[in-house]
Amino acid sequence: MHKGKGIKVIISMIGLDGHTTGGEIVARVLRDAGFEVIYLGATQTPEMILKAAIQEDVDAIGISSHASNFHQIEYLVELLKDNGMGDVPVICGGNIPKHVASRLKGNGIAEVFPPGSSSAQIIDYVTANARGAARKSA
Amino acid sequence: MKRETDYGYALKGAYGPEDVTGFDYSRDLADPGQYPYTRGYFPQGYRSRMWTQRMTAGLGTSAAANLVLKNYREMGQTGGICVISDRVFSDCIDPDHPLGRREAGILGWPGCSLLEFEELMDGIPLTGQSITLLGSSAPSVMRLAYIVALAQKRGIDPSEVHGSCMESPFENYFGQTDVSPFDLNLKLFLDAGEYVLRNKIRMRASIISQHFQESGGNSAQALAICLSMIKEVCGRLINERGLDFDTTSLFPYELVSVGTRFFDEIAKIRALRRMYARMAKEEFHAKTEKACQLLIAIHTSGRTMTFQQPLNNIVRCAIQTLAGVIGGCTALDNATLDNAHSEPSALAARMSLNTQHIVAYESGAADVVDPLAGSYYMEALTNKVEEEGYRIYNEIQGMGGMIAALERGYVQDMLSAEAAKKFQEIDRKERLVVGVNHLVIPEEDDFEIPIQEVHSHDSEKIADRMEAWKKTRDQAALQTTLAQLYADGKKGDRFNLMPAIIEAVKAYASVGEVMGTIRLARGLTYDPFDMIQCPYAYE
Repeated sequence: MHKGKGIKVIISMIGLDGHTTGGEIVARVLRDAGFEVIYLGATQTPEMILKAAIQEDVDAIGISSHASNFHQIEYLVELLKDNGMGDVPVICGGNIPKHVASRLKGNGIAEVFPPGSSSAQIIDYVTANARGAARKSA
Repeated sequence: MKRETDYGYALKGAYGPEDVTGFDYSRDLADPGQYPYTRGYFPQGYRSRMWTQRMTAGLGTSAAANLVLKNYREMGQTGGICVISDRVFSDCIDPDHPLGRREAGILGWPGCSLLEFEELMDGIPLTGQSITLLGSSAPSVMRLAYIVALAQKRGIDPSEVHGSCMESPFENYFGQTDVSPFDLNLKLFLDAGEYVLRNKIRMRASIISQHFQESGGNSAQALAICLSMIKEVCGRLINERGLDFDTTSLFPYELVSVGTRFFDEIAKIRALRRMYARMAKEEFHAKTEKACQLLIAIHTSGRTMTFQQPLNNIVRCAIQTLAGVIGGCTALDNATLDNAHSEPSALAARMSLNTQHIVAYESGAADVVDPLAGSYYMEALTNKVEEEGYRIYNEIQGMGGMIAALERGYVQDMLSAEAAKKFQEIDRKERLVVGVNHLVIPEEDDFEIPIQEVHSHDSEKIADRMEAWKKTRDQAALQTTLAQLYADGKKGDRFNLMPAIIEAVKAYASVGEVMGTIRLARGLTYDPFDMIQCPYAYE
């Protein structure tokens, strides 16, 4: 699969949460689909993720969340906007209650993938919505 | 759809005598209470000792967690308590640390000082029930120090408290990461082990193959990893701390994950008892019967709790609980129906606890010990998972043991490949999960369930209280005890830091201060995130 060719994505945990399995699997799924994946791992602050996003000039950011740290995800979106990277979509996955998912989407998070999402759903979404997706598919 | 175990053994449609050729009752099973304990440790099973029925607590402030524990007691949880730490305590920083402030009391109990433990345990007995404190490996020494300190304050001999409060350093590789370096976690873990064993404190350490399996490992791998972890820990306590095996065998207990594949799970638990007993006798030359009996607690599988149609999880939880009970266990706690959404709500917790009560008192499963023994299928399945478990165990031992295998990346690669395989199997519908990849309903038709809110303003409240309270402590006592800890910390890996840690904890030193001091003595930064400096000068 080469759907992700030319698309650079960060996959990261946020805050102190150490449940890394979901993020690691998504990183693997995207890599297998041809994306360039930068996996940051655990104990990443919003500031650290911003720094990596600027340095690596990524096209999308995936945040894995285990029932917590929602405010830090919203803060990351703010930081990206303040640093001229508001066009990089932040996509979340993990144990996130439905009403929180709605709130996150209202606050600038591009999409929220619940547990049980398929690899096709994730790959298609990132391919279609990464920064410059229209240009790349043209 | 695959009809095979998670470790790839293809199941037949029916089993018969030909599947258990060479079966020898006294060698392979023996009566309940007899070596190799395949059938359990008690001749009368749960009639002589009912398993401890418990739910994990811990969210928000210590006072809030205390209320939850009291509620669980009213729901019939009298055998023991189980509390999980928040991520701040797990990473050994304080709530008033810049990062602690963001998530104190989220995902667990904010136990950063003895004050918090005193509030958690207010009005709750330390004895007469088991005390289980979960979290990550790094703060194991703090949790032990709290128990010793509070027991002494209440005029109780610490040896009268029983339960578990330590976690093996291996969990960092299984999706339960903390930020402390492995060598420090291992040193402190062995310190805690040596301290409880020499002082005859009946506090155990969890050796958690559950984390390994919840991160995607299969049943046979989990058996191999479990035995390898115990072998490494006991071996080090023997070789580095001068204890004998029969003594060290009182340190570990195993926390096993139980999923929905009913028969496979029962076979796994039976195989674990037999494999451990053989390792104890043949490899460590155990002298007592007790040293051949591995204490097994069960956590029903959180990863099998689906986001879609969460009420279905009640059924999954019931199947898993029944498997755990038939397999045989000392204690059991459940995942909850809302696990894929949030932390357990009061309703979900009650539902899970009631699941155990129904299995215990209504189903009859607790009346007869090891009821599936002698079934062609069950014995064949027990042999199969054991055979595959031994294959992996022998590979790990061939590399030099658990730590050597981790250093080579063998365990990590095995886990990561297996986790990817499990995801793929569901993705490709080789394994069916109702409501997820089979019989899916539109999202709007799904039932709504109550959701436990996690509030970030609680974190600020916990942090502000901690910051103000820190200034009210006896500064002289703090400095003296921490200076002693610093001095001891420089005396090498085999010098036991537990006595100095307990003194500092009694002076209300926080986890950030205790671990920071130990880190400094070892030449590390005071703060694992290097954002704050040590408030004291030791040299």
